Amino acid sequence: MGLFRNVAIVGAGMTRFHNRIHAGKTGRDLFVEAVLEAADSVDKGFELREAEAIFIGNYSSDSFEGQGHTAALIADWLGLTPRPSIRVEDACASSGVAINMAALAVASGAYDLVIVGGFEKMTGKETEEVTEILAMAADALYEVPVGFTFPGLYAAIATAYFKRYCSSWEELAAISIKNHRNGALNEKAHFQSDIMDMARRLGERHNMTFKDELEFLRSPLNPFVAYPLRLFDCCPISDGASALIVASSDIAKRYTDTPIYIKGFGQASDTFSLHDREELTELKATRIAASQAYKMAGVSPKDIDVADVHDCFTIAEVLAVEDLGFFPRGQGGKAALEGRTSLDGERPINPDGGLKAKGHPVGATGAAMAYEMFKQLRGEAGRRQVDDAEIGLAQNVGASGATVVVQVYGR
Amino acid sequence: MEEKPFTTGSYKEFLESGRLMANRCRSCGDVHLPPRPICPRCGGRSLEWMEIQGRGTLQAFTVVHVPPIRLRGRQPYATGIVKLEGGPRISGLILDVKRGEDMNVGAEVEGVIVREEDGAKLCFRLV
Repeated sequence: MGLFRNVAIVGAGMTRFHNRIHAGKTGRDLFVEAVLEAADSVDKGFELREAEAIFIGNYSSDSFEGQGHTAALIADWLGLTPRPSIRVEDACASSGVAINMAALAVASGAYDLVIVGGFEKMTGKETEEVTEILAMAADALYEVPVGFTFPGLYAAIATAYFKRYCSSWEELAAISIKNHRNGALNEKAHFQSDIMDMARRLGERHNMTFKDELEFLRSPLNPFVAYPLRLFDCCPISDGASALIVASSDIAKRYTDTPIYIKGFGQASDTFSLHDREELTELKATRIAASQAYKMAGVSPKDIDVADVHDCFTIAEVLAVEDLGFFPRGQGGKAALEGRTSLDGERPINPDGGLKAKGHPVGATGAAMAYEMFKQLRGEAGRRQVDDAEIGLAQNVGASGATVVVQVYGR
Repeated sequence: MEEKPFTTGSYKEFLESGRLMANRCRSCGDVHLPPRPICPRCGGRSLEWMEIQGRGTLQAFTVVHVPPIRLRGRQPYATGIVKLEGGPRISGLILDVKRGEDMNVGAEVEGVIVREEDGAKLCFRLV
C-alpha cells in the first residue's frame, strides 16, 4: 500500500499511569491533561484550535464510568466543536488503531493536522469487576462463561508455549524483572521501582527476606492469578491517557525541526476465540500487521533499534518478539533471560517499562507506545534512552490477538 | 437431518438437550464448533449439522485464581482448550482439578454437559 503523502508526529504527551494518583479525575480530565501536554511539547508552538479532527482510542468508558458517546464529549471538553471526533474501540489496541486511522486521514489529504490518543479510567471498579469488563473483549458466549479471563487466556498460551519449546516460567520472570528495571527509569510509569526494591519493601511487611528476584517471584508474595502466571506476570490496573499531535509531512517542519515520521503501519485481525487459532504459540495477526508495516517503511526486523511491544502478560512479550521477527521461535523468553532485550542489549524491548511496569490503561496504551518512540527517536528519553535509536516499532494487541496493529517510526 | 438455522441460539438449544452440535462445510469439509453461518476457510455457505463426541486432548489450560464476578467463589477453577476427535477445538471448564500441576498439555479429556444457572455448558474431565 502506498500513501498519498507522509505523516509525522510533531508533539506527544501522556499522564503518568497510576492506580491512585488520578482518584477524583474522570476519563475526560485525563485525556485533556494528555492533550495539553502534547500541545505544549510542540517545539515551535501549537494552538489546539489548529487541529481539524480528533481520533480517540477508548475501550469501555461505558462500563468503567457509565459514559458513552465519548468522542463528542472529548471534542466538547477540548473546546474543539464542531470538528469531527471519532472514537475507536478495538479492546486494548484501541489507540494503536486510532493512530492508523489518523495517519490514513492525514495521508489522504482530508486533514493536515489532527489529534490522536486514548484514555481509560479503570480504577473506579473493584478488581473482579474490572476482570469482568475486560473479559467482554473475549467471546462472551464461548470463552467467558467457561471461565476464561484475560490472564487465563494468556496463561493458557503459556502452557502451550512451555510444552512446545520445553521452556519454563523462569523465562517469563526475566521479562518481568527487565521491564520493572526499565520502569524504574520512567517518571510516567505506574511502578517506578525494580523487583528487588519491591521484594525488600513487601518482605519487610511480612517479615521475609529474599536473596534475589527469583526467590521473591516464587514466594507466596507473588501469588498465582491464572496458573502458570503470577501477579508479577500481569500488568496492573491503571488510569491514564496519552495523546499525539499528527501532521502531514508538508507542514510538519512548521511545528518542529525533528518530526518523527510514521514510516509504516499495518493491522490484522484473527479468530476472535483463542481456541479457533491454528497455532496457540504465536499471534498470527502480529506477523501480518508487521509485514505490512515493514513493507511500507522499507525496513526489515533487523533495522529496528528499539521497540515497544504489548506485554499485557509476560508471555505476550515472548510471542511478540518472535512474531515481529526479532528472535527465532522458542527463543523470545531466552533472549530476555540473556539480557539481549535489556536497555543495553542488542534489541531493547519496552524501554519505558512496558505494560508490565508502566501500566496499561487499556485505551491509552497504543498512543503511549507512540509517545515512547517519539521520545526515544528524538533522544529525549532521559535515563532510559537507547543509544543511537533511529528506527522504532510499536506493537499493540487487542484482547488475545484478534486485533493487532503495528507502526514503524523513524526520524 | 437437522433443519435448525446455524445460529448461536441453535447451538445452545442443542446443548440444553444434551447434544454437542457442530456444522460442516459441504464445499471444503471444514468443521465448525460452535456452528458458523459462513465457512471461514472457503467462504462456503452450504453447511450441514454434525454431532460431535466429547473426547479429545488438552491443548492449553489454566487454573484461574482471580475470577470474574459471575464465577466468584468458585476459584481456583481449571479451564482449557480442547482439540476434539474430528478436529474442532473448543474452550471448556475442566472439572475436579484445582492445581495446574495436576494437568498436562496433551492429556486426554472427555466432554460432559453441565447445567448451570446461566445455561448448559460444555465441560471436560481428565480421563
